[in-house]
Amino acid sequence: MTAAITLAGVSKSFGAAQALVDVDLEVNTHEVLAVVGDNGAGKSTLAGLLSGVHTPDRGQVRIDGEPVHLTSPAAARREGIAAVFQELALCDNLDVVENLFLGHEAAAGIFLDEVSMERQAWELLDQLAARVPSVRVPVAALSGGQRRTIAIARALLGDPRVIVLDEPTTALGIRQTAQVLTLVERLRERGHAVVLISHSITDVQAVADRIAVLRLGHLIGEFDAETTTTEDLLGAITGAVAPRAGGRAS
Amino acid sequence: MYPDSVRTTRETPGSQTSLREANRARIVAAVQQHGSLTQVELSGITGLSPATISNIVKELTGTGVLSTAPSTRSGRRAQLVTLARSLGLVAGVDFGSRTMRVVLADASMRLLASEQMPLAPDHRADMGMQRASMLIQEMTDSVEAGVGELLAVGIGVPAPVDTARGVVSSAGLLRGWDGADVAANLSAQLGVPVSVDNDANLGALAEARYGAAVGYDPVVYVRASHGIGGGIVLGGRLLHGRAGSAGEIGHVTIDENGPICRCGNRGCLETFVGSPVLLGMLAASHGHLTLGDVVTRAQDGDAGCRRVLSDAGAHLGAAVANLCNLVDPEVVVVGGQLAAAGDIILAPLRSAVEQRTVPSAEGPPVVVPSEFGEWAEARGALAVALDRARSDGALGVSA
Repeated sequence: MTAAITLAGVSKSFGAAQALVDVDLEVNTHEVLAVVGDNGAGKSTLAGLLSGVHTPDRGQVRIDGEPVHLTSPAAARREGIAAVFQELALCDNLDVVENLFLGHEAAAGIFLDEVSMERQAWELLDQLAARVPSVRVPVAALSGGQRRTIAIARALLGDPRVIVLDEPTTALGIRQTAQVLTLVERLRERGHAVVLISHSITDVQAVADRIAVLRLGHLIGEFDAETTTTEDLLGAITGAVAPRAGGRAS
Repeated sequence: MYPDSVRTTRETPGSQTSLREANRARIVAAVQQHGSLTQVELSGITGLSPATISNIVKELTGTGVLSTAPSTRSGRRAQLVTLARSLGLVAGVDFGSRTMRVVLADASMRLLASEQMPLAPDHRADMGMQRASMLIQEMTDSVEAGVGELLAVGIGVPAPVDTARGVVSSAGLLRGWDGADVAANLSAQLGVPVSVDNDANLGALAEARYGAAVGYDPVVYVRASHGIGGGIVLGGRLLHGRAGSAGEIGHVTIDENGPICRCGNRGCLETFVGSPVLLGMLAASHGHLTLGDVVTRAQDGDAGCRRVLSDAGAHLGAAVANLCNLVDPEVVVVGGQLAAAGDIILAPLRSAVEQRTVPSAEGPPVVVPSEFGEWAEARGALAVALDRARSDGALGVSA
């Protein structure tokens, strides 16, 4: 197993509020790393740091051991990190293919190469075993889960190594939650590193390999999802229980 | 006053009407259990004359219980008989250790929707059942079926089940599910009858009725996934035993001095081929893997993963051979996630079975992979749901 991204002693403040304090974290390929925590624990800030939305005040972000400066989401994408946020940033009036290829459309001469884009879109959705009625319907006509799938598919287009999913199951019905969680498993099988940020312990335990717990900006511990009980996790999130000595996995 | 048995409105036994009623029930039962049959096959299975079959099928088609479609069998024209779709829907749920699968089908066993959902390790029964019932409701909505069209639900649970009461009967096998009253809980949430059985039993039923074991009897089914389960179908019926533990091959003793199993005994088959053990063997060399990863890597030629799976096949074969010596099945169907590895696991399994079974003039039992793969248990759940609907009289004939 190889670490795709390493956060070394990373801190980030917004004014007087310390969002993250001295966080060390490794994100490995072929693994789902879940980040859980209460509101204001620093989960979204962590997602922002990984995807180039925020830059750290202190500490380093390393990719394959080399320090990098992720100054913008575009820079992060060039380094192979893609993110899907709670606001999906899809264009409701455009169809699935147009949304997937927005900004990097395939061209054939002076025209758009609709045929190859549509084929690629289907290939991508098939690989994710995603169920979309048609790639030519406006995104507004799709369900919440399907829209999230499209957003994730778009993140996958440049074949990134790391995919950051910020709260992918909030505001979804049970069937759509099932589809998104199955999709996360599929991403892992394809060899991506997945960072899953969520506050649903049930969903996190269902798909994660490792669970990192944040509390008030501090990394409380990393847990092996296979052997950690819900009670241990809740204890670590709320601070009711100090993490056991063995709680820090690897 | 009269005792209850006398006051029933049923026709006198032996009368023409009761005979006809019994024949009708027999035909509906045969069609339901086989999914679809030609009239000639129906005659063979029920033992009724082709003329009787033709008459009753015509009558039941008229009342909307059966439907017929033209087809061909061995080059001849034939009438294919299925249950009418309009009869209603059934749902099947398979609770795995880490995945829940839900399928929805109409009465002719045509699949209408299927969904799977990852589950947490050691998930709790109440959470699982709530998610299952919500999924069933959303899926019923998505095929635009009205309330009341759902006839019955079948549930598979990876632990021994007391099928008469629908309660998990094991102690300590499935944490969070011990003693769970699955049937009562889910039928209260969904408002339809619920049948519960062990997951491997359901897989056995699905393979015996519709899958790789059609036409064989007895059938032994082994499900190798996170845990190891087994089911036995004898004379077309599942063997449950006293409290639903029949066929629990995962807890057959392989080594008396072996490690302690989750069931409390020593050296069970599961302590050699259960997923924690297989993955544990690879942890030092390969890091954190899932069972699916091991199968894919073995197929891609990874030597370590191949070795782990072929050893697992040999252990499984030893236990299956013991079962074969007791039941003498015509076929052994291997299902579950490990079966996806194909001959990497099946070849050592076959040779262990050949070595250790009593030599017979018929040769060793056939060992085949499951036809439905990881969906076998959910298919079996559909089958028991439809059985339940028929025995409750929802298919238009009294049982």
